[in-house]
Amino acid sequence: MSFLPLSFASPMILWGLLALPVIWWLLRMTPPRPQEEVFPPLRILARVLRPEETPNKSPWWLTLLRLLLAALVILALADPVLNPRERTSVQGRALAIVLDNSWSSAPDWDRRVATAARLIEDARAGDTPVILALTAERPGQEIGPFDAATALDRLNAAEPQPLPPDRPAVFGRVAGALDETPGATLALLTDGLAAAGDEQAFDELLWADLAEVLWFDPGTPDLFTIVDSSNEPERFVLRALRPAGQDMPVRATAVALDMQGRRLAETPASFGPGDVSVLAEMRMPFELRNDFASIVIEGQNHAGAVHLLDENARRRRIGLLSQAEADQAQPLLSPLYYIRRALAPFADLLEPSNPDLTKALPELLEQQPAMIVMADVGTLVPSVHEQLEEWVRKGGTLVRFAGPRLAAAEGDDVLLPVRLRTGERSLGGALSWSEPQPVTEFPPNGPFSDLTPPREVTVTRQVLAEPSVDIADRTWASLADGTPLVTGAELGEGRVVLFHVTPEATWSNLPISGSFVEMLRRLVQISRNQGAAAASRNNGGSLPPYRMISATGALVPPGQDAEPLAPGRDVPVTRANPPGLYGSEEGFVAHNLLKPDAALEPIRVPEAPVPVTRAAYAFDTARPLKGMLMAAALGLLALDTLAMLWLGGAGRRFRLSRARGTGAAAALVAAVLAASLVAPSDGLAQSAQPPQEVSDAEAIDAISKTRIAYVVTGVSSTDAITRAGIEGLNRFLADKTAFVPGDPAPVDIATDELSFYPLIYWPIDVNAPIPSEEAITRIDAYMQQGGTVLFDTRDEFSAGFGSGDAVTPETRRLREILSGLNVPALEPVPEDHVLTKAFYILNEFPGRYRGGELWVEASVNAQSRVDRPVRTGDGVTPIMITSNDLAGAWAIDDNGQPLLPTVPSDPMQRVYAFRAGVNIMMYMLTGNYKSDQVHVPALLERLGQ
Amino acid sequence: MRIGEVTTPVALQDALVRGRTGASLLPDLLVEARRVASNITAGWHGRRRRGIGENFWQFRPYVEGEAVSRIDWRRSARDDHVYIRDREWEAAHTVWLWADRSPSMLYRSRQAEVSKEERALVLVLALAELLARSGERIAWPGLMGPVSGRDAAERLTGHLIHADAGAPRPDMSAIRQFNDAVIVSDFLDAGETMRWLTPLTRAGARAHLIEVADPAEESFPYTGRTEFRDPETGEKLTAGRAEVMAEDYRRLYLARREELMAWCRKLGWSYTVNHTDRPASEALVRVQMAMAEGMDSPP
Repeated sequence: MSFLPLSFASPMILWGLLALPVIWWLLRMTPPRPQEEVFPPLRILARVLRPEETPNKSPWWLTLLRLLLAALVILALADPVLNPRERTSVQGRALAIVLDNSWSSAPDWDRRVATAARLIEDARAGDTPVILALTAERPGQEIGPFDAATALDRLNAAEPQPLPPDRPAVFGRVAGALDETPGATLALLTDGLAAAGDEQAFDELLWADLAEVLWFDPGTPDLFTIVDSSNEPERFVLRALRPAGQDMPVRATAVALDMQGRRLAETPASFGPGDVSVLAEMRMPFELRNDFASIVIEGQNHAGAVHLLDENARRRRIGLLSQAEADQAQPLLSPLYYIRRALAPFADLLEPSNPDLTKALPELLEQQPAMIVMADVGTLVPSVHEQLEEWVRKGGTLVRFAGPRLAAAEGDDVLLPVRLRTGERSLGGALSWSEPQPVTEFPPNGPFSDLTPPREVTVTRQVLAEPSVDIADRTWASLADGTPLVTGAELGEGRVVLFHVTPEATWSNLPISGSFVEMLRRLVQISRNQGAAAASRNNGGSLPPYRMISATGALVPPGQDAEPLAPGRDVPVTRANPPGLYGSEEGFVAHNLLKPDAALEPIRVPEAPVPVTRAAYAFDTARPLKGMLMAAALGLLALDTLAMLWLGGAGRRFRLSRARGTGAAAALVAAVLAASLVAPSDGLAQSAQPPQEVSDAEAIDAISKTRIAYVVTGVSSTDAITRAGIEGLNRFLADKTAFVPGDPAPVDIATDELSFYPLIYWPIDVNAPIPSEEAITRIDAYMQQGGTVLFDTRDEFSAGFGSGDAVTPETRRLREILSGLNVPALEPVPEDHVLTKAFYILNEFPGRYRGGELWVEASVNAQSRVDRPVRTGDGVTPIMITSNDLAGAWAIDDNGQPLLPTVPSDPMQRVYAFRAGVNIMMYMLTGNYKSDQVHVPALLERLGQ
Repeated sequence: MRIGEVTTPVALQDALVRGRTGASLLPDLLVEARRVASNITAGWHGRRRRGIGENFWQFRPYVEGEAVSRIDWRRSARDDHVYIRDREWEAAHTVWLWADRSPSMLYRSRQAEVSKEERALVLVLALAELLARSGERIAWPGLMGPVSGRDAAERLTGHLIHADAGAPRPDMSAIRQFNDAVIVSDFLDAGETMRWLTPLTRAGARAHLIEVADPAEESFPYTGRTEFRDPETGEKLTAGRAEVMAEDYRRLYLARREELMAWCRKLGWSYTVNHTDRPASEALVRVQMAMAEGMDSPP
């Protein structure tokens, strides 16, 4: 049995298989040998007795089935175990286990520990010293050599860390330890993902003096991670990544959680075949999106599946203010045009509806913008100024652009970062000696320090700042001649920023350069991070750990190793700075495990000078097959019973199809066998039947005549009455109107195509099974697309007279059904509804019972006027509800005689019932046409006929 | 315990002895009575007078009251008189005997005394003895031509000893008008029997069919799971519960017999059933009676 990963607990029982030929012989004997009789008039007997039902031995497939059954039972008794635990021999004089406890090992950590524990157990048997090193621990960890018991304790105490492995450091120490114990066995239990510096690390380790290397093949880890996200105007986009080498199409679900861990949104991330990285989006209102605190891939319990969001990910409202008159004809000259274009992709813009600043600003402030951009607003009214200043001091960011108005305004303003000289400076004009000035390097103190200065931008006009002591600190961008282009200053908790040029392209070409977008974007970003900035100010630039991501992807309080984080762009994730949120409750920075440029490459088997033995992580692969085999044997037994039944009784009836049946039975046996052997634990196959596809011919057939459909309830009496009723109505319609309907169409709402029918009559029967959710959905879609369902509870008198609000079971069933539908507001058919005049003039809609209201969609907007006989209103009600048992009244037999009496027994009531049916049908087919038709005389009169 | 068994073919000499015994039981009076009835005086040859015979004797004028069917229209057409064709009275009558010796006859159930074959041969040889004693000529189709003499039965036995028991059914075309034939078999296949005997009807011979039936064949006493084997073809049938089909089988078995009986009645033949648990003499008497009756009325 070495060729199969299979072993038997009691292999002696397998000798029982030798009994199979005996069993075969015994089985061949069945049925028991008959009494043999000579019988001359056999031919007469033969006419009585069917020769084919008396095989003198079992059919071969039955014998096979039984043999298989016996074999299965014997095999099951031998207690087979699939993938039994294999002993890994440790040949070396010492055992060195290098175990990755990095983030990607978390999902199957138990298996890794089990594998390592097995190795240690084996080492214990050989009394071999064990070196145990974990790659995501501190490099200074104690790595041994230990004795086996200590190593096992340490192993069991080890936990996966939400960190990338630090292989170079740990491998170096292991290599050092190996030098002291030459001839060791090295077991590499990697997490399957390549990391930086792997090659050198492996080289160092594997060129030590080793007896052998055990490489535990991790396969390609089955991981999904989120590496990046962005909050766009209409949607939230995230990028999910999986290790290269996984090619199967997979669908993962990404979930957005808020700070309290509540689920706000989810979206599927579908990896196509070979996709490594996919984008998924969530379309949500941005208020909700701003509440996203983390994005998690569901079902992944490791740190890589969690992507934390901080203020940077939030979309902020930005108010735009301008005093220029909105000139729609010249949008490119509008001061706010470029600002709008630049900010719209990553912020939500608020523009006041009122150009009056005294009204516009409160309107803006009410919506609590994070930033307000003022394009060339000169002097502010004191009240406005006061409000604005208060808002900035509380943390707002005010960005102002220069312009003729500002240039003309008084230059000493607390809402300006610098004092301005009155008037603007013109460069390169006809009366100027100077050339238009380019932008120089961004000073390192400003927020633009890491942007590339736009060399192509030149400035021809600007407002100038009064020289002052701190002007250099406040300059965030300057021109080549040193004059500031952008200045900024903090004011209270907020800040004020001034662009010394206009926001349109008249003074400079900055607004039409890409840098403009970048600069504004940077401003938007700093406008968000006030809290974090405050924290960093308090703590000398670094942020204390606030919430950490655990190895399983949960948010936990920081552990003892976590140290404050110095915010920056590329801070590595280390043991000192594990992934998580840094800062405080007021503001924090997300430090994510995977950077946007991360790639998950599967690790390669390193080359080693000593033989590398590949082994598998073995943990839960040992699988006792006894139960499975027994279950299969039981299944075969049931099959055998069925076969015997079939041979004994059913075979006589289906004699003609015997040959086919034998084949089918054999196929069935084979199929069940295959199913039971291949996937015994998978349970039932998918049995959901999809809605039937309708072929063209069927569709043409279905719509070549207008047919009234009814829902098949499955209760035969109800269905028969319904069918007879619709036939009766059809006959009446054909008699009285120009409409000759086709045969009643029974529909199964779960599977049949519904859109062919204008009206579906649905008798509610409590004995019928409740339609499935999908069926209800299909009905809902049918109603949305213009179909009408006529529900008939048929219980007008079931509730009993005067029982008030008593709810009959039918009504309750109807409510259950309707609870899954988008039911519009309903009303009893009003007196002037089209239904009352669609063909006959009717005041009520009786069926077998009289008095139940017919409910239709409430015509909310319809105008009901005294001088009009019919209310106007568009559309046909998608739903009608009655309790009068219409079909019962319509039902006729083949001779045209009514099947059921009306209650009370009034012949006219039946006539009215038919008329009600005609009106309903006419209303279905002509809609509100009748409500226009009643005006024809008036129209003709008006036309002067 | 088995109900039926296959028997070995009977020793013919033995059968002859028993046939003689059986025949001796028959009162000679019966044979004598037949002769009296047919106005035969003892003698082996034609009486040179008109009577029941096979050869032409004379034309004579029709007398009022005689059967119209006896008018010879060919002769009457020659002149104005109506003639009747008289045949020569023949004293000795040719009786063809045949007994079925096929494997299906080699059967005896527990309820029966003897096998069907034995019964059939005993019947045939008894008849042969009787007829020979009466001076009739006996013959066996395909085996022995018409023979008269007191020792005709012995001679027949001698022929039968050397005959192949498994021979197919003989050709019946040798049997001519006015001959009698006694066929003893189990007649299990009515249709085949009728086809086989059709030449007899064409030849105008009279036949007496004796069906030898085993009681087990008729009552179908089988129960339980039973495998039936046809001794002729070796074909096998297994019945899960034999008792449930007894009713249907009996109906078919008797229907076959009824069909044959009706056919014989239509042809004016006799049909006798002899069960092997009953004495052979019963059948012998009946056949004797039937032959005597036949002698009675002119064919």
